[in-house]
Amino acid sequence: MPEEATSLPSELEGATSLPSELEGATSLPSELTVKGLKINKGAEETMRELLRSLLESGKVSGVLALGRTGNAGGGVAYSLFTDPDAFRADGVAIPLLPFMPSNAGSLLSRLTLKGPPAKPVAAVIKPCELRAFIELVKLNQGSLDNLLLISSTCGGVYPLDLGVNGELGERLPQYWEAVKHGELDDQVRPTCLACAHFVPENADITVALMGEAELDAQCTLYLNTEKGAAFVDGVASLPSDVDGVASLPSDVDGVASLPSSEGGLESHLSGELETEAIQRSHSQRQVHQEALFAGVEVGLKGMIHTFGRCIGCHACKTVCPICYCRMCYFDSQGCEHSPEFYEGELERKGGVRVPSNTVFFQLGRLAHMSVSCVGCGMCTDVCPADIPVSTIFSKVGVAVQALFDYQPGRDVTEELPLRTFAEEELAQVAT
Amino acid sequence: MNDKDTTRHQAKRNTVLDPPCGALLPAEDGIEAAFVGWLKEALNRNIFDALLIPVEVPAEDSFAYLLLQDAAILESASPLPPVMPVQGGKAISRLTMRGNGNKRIAVVVRPCEARAAVELVKLKQAHLDNLWLITMDCPGALLLSDYLEDPAAGAARFAKAYADRRHPSEWDREPMRPVCQICNHFSLRQAPVSDLHIGTLGSSDGAVFIIPASPKGERILEDMDMPVDAALDSWAEQVEEAEQTQTERRRQAHTELRETITGPERLMDVFSNCINCHNCQRACPMCYCRQCYFESAALKLPPENYLARAEHKGALRFSPDTLLFHIGRASHMILSCVSCGACEDACPMDIPIAQVFSLLADRAQETLGYVAGGSLEEPLPLVAYEMDELHQVEQPYVEIYHKQEVQDA
Repeated sequence: MPEEATSLPSELEGATSLPSELEGATSLPSELTVKGLKINKGAEETMRELLRSLLESGKVSGVLALGRTGNAGGGVAYSLFTDPDAFRADGVAIPLLPFMPSNAGSLLSRLTLKGPPAKPVAAVIKPCELRAFIELVKLNQGSLDNLLLISSTCGGVYPLDLGVNGELGERLPQYWEAVKHGELDDQVRPTCLACAHFVPENADITVALMGEAELDAQCTLYLNTEKGAAFVDGVASLPSDVDGVASLPSDVDGVASLPSSEGGLESHLSGELETEAIQRSHSQRQVHQEALFAGVEVGLKGMIHTFGRCIGCHACKTVCPICYCRMCYFDSQGCEHSPEFYEGELERKGGVRVPSNTVFFQLGRLAHMSVSCVGCGMCTDVCPADIPVSTIFSKVGVAVQALFDYQPGRDVTEELPLRTFAEEELAQVAT
Repeated sequence: MNDKDTTRHQAKRNTVLDPPCGALLPAEDGIEAAFVGWLKEALNRNIFDALLIPVEVPAEDSFAYLLLQDAAILESASPLPPVMPVQGGKAISRLTMRGNGNKRIAVVVRPCEARAAVELVKLKQAHLDNLWLITMDCPGALLLSDYLEDPAAGAARFAKAYADRRHPSEWDREPMRPVCQICNHFSLRQAPVSDLHIGTLGSSDGAVFIIPASPKGERILEDMDMPVDAALDSWAEQVEEAEQTQTERRRQAHTELRETITGPERLMDVFSNCINCHNCQRACPMCYCRQCYFESAALKLPPENYLARAEHKGALRFSPDTLLFHIGRASHMILSCVSCGACEDACPMDIPIAQVFSLLADRAQETLGYVAGGSLEEPLPLVAYEMDELHQVEQPYVEIYHKQEVQDA
């Protein structure tokens, strides 16, 4: 098997040296200029109010969002909430927390693998989780039907370590201070510092966070789809139209200031999502990305050097939202060899690593999923051997995606490059 | 019938390694160097055809099991590396799961890795006929994450912690993994499953014992022209003493741990940071299933199922079944758990999983009179049928239903 691996690096190097096309891939899609809806409540509070109202009114049957586990260490996990009280000020839900215990794209796939829910479910997720889910839908691993997808302009998430050692809570003030200024706390995942797609695509509702100086006191919701508008519109009518409103807490005023259904949405929309702060963050992250990618050791030698300490646990694959295969080839019978195989390799090479396929696994995974890699950083976070997996995979991903002029998660109708036949393409490889 | 029960319980007690004598290996220039030199000589003399041994990786930041037959590669071998990145039992299983090979291969592993290999043989996932297992008195291993922060410093910390190989009372167990700190199977005296054992404990200055633990091991020493005439009293004494200390430590640690995990609430708390990556299962040498039930199609359910469960409690952790996975895993592999700590090394959320499993393993194995990796002959408790056992579990059933059953009959 390793002999196949050795034939790959030259192609890899070629793929990673495409800076000119890289820029094209990171530019903002022009259609993201939807008008926003200003609300005189902080972003966190608005989210809680919105989600609570959606659950209470029965417009959604559940909400997938982050919540506190209630353990001593301040643990955080995704949960499927059905109880509206979780979103009260003292509730356990914390929808906008900059943390990613799992890529929610995988979770939405798990939720909708067997079909869409009968009643709508809302999900509050990061842009890369949303992009991962779009890819999974294209790969027939989930359904967008009856989901209300809510995302935000993202300031990155903290590595999992910080959720374990309790530092996460301590750093939050710093995080939000940075976000208000349109900056990133330098402790977020390296891949977040280098993220080119922190403005969500395909969200029904986008919460503006990056560069929103007043996000504690007011926030802007961008209603990108009719679905998003319809759900918020309903919430707006809640305080005046529905019985039982009296039981709502007094702090519901923020929601009350949403436009009423008769007024229509258009008249209340103002502002544009793509602000100066967003533009600035784009350029900053672009610089980060170049620096981060420059540190990757390329070629087979580089791969061996970097992945030499890999313990073969395949955790990177397990948490990767794109690696959806129930049985990976590298965990299958195909990779269970006879002792004679190892003896043959031994004769040929003088030494064989056991278990084998360390670099081959990474190359195989790259070949299978890099075109859909959303650069979420889960793989790096779970690696017990501290290998910067995500940096390497992002670098290859960006290059491969540029090669096919493809952007994972951009558009659910955009065909996966490996599934489309183009008579004339990749001429540079053919010659 | 009761006699049968007792016999089973005694089986493990009879397997204490107690050979009167071992061979002496001069080690003036350090134990590792002497051992590697000896392996090289054995390879050159065709005592065995190949070696499976931890070797430093090219970036010099970790170790990997390498199957080699070129004595030159042995230069970078490390018979007792500061970390255990891959459990040796797993490496042995990868190599021999499809049968015994044609080459005679010597395998250098830690005691817990040898014990895992023995369990894997019983589970039909490994074959040892053409392997020679060689183990060493083991001071433990560093946490992989600690070591990787600065491999050179880690190696130095490891070397310093047990600079005095001869006296375990001088070993500093503090830098080692928590589960290594409470290990009482660090030598092979209580579980002589290897063929040769390098005894550093109780050895005199400038030499270590090479202890034959099986007829295969005896033959190697014979072929190497090594007289087996060094008395092992000092080794046995030191091992026994350290075993007692370690067993007491283990008991204490388990008593404290038990407080923190008893009851569903506390157990849930311990595992509450789990992100469901199942990496504990992947690193575990005993979890050999190609497809874990918890990753199978059986648990992929329609959304209404999840929503109904969420409705029941107000919220459903997603993905669900986190605690169930750990309980399920424990019930499947706990009788074979060798407390090697691979699971804890692999956990990205720092859950003390190896410690919890070591407590469960001790209790479960004690209940069934079984020692994981204790001997190749002793059958796996779940495979062996015993007419009379576990009366403490079935008693309530007899009391409640027996009379009724007799009446009904």
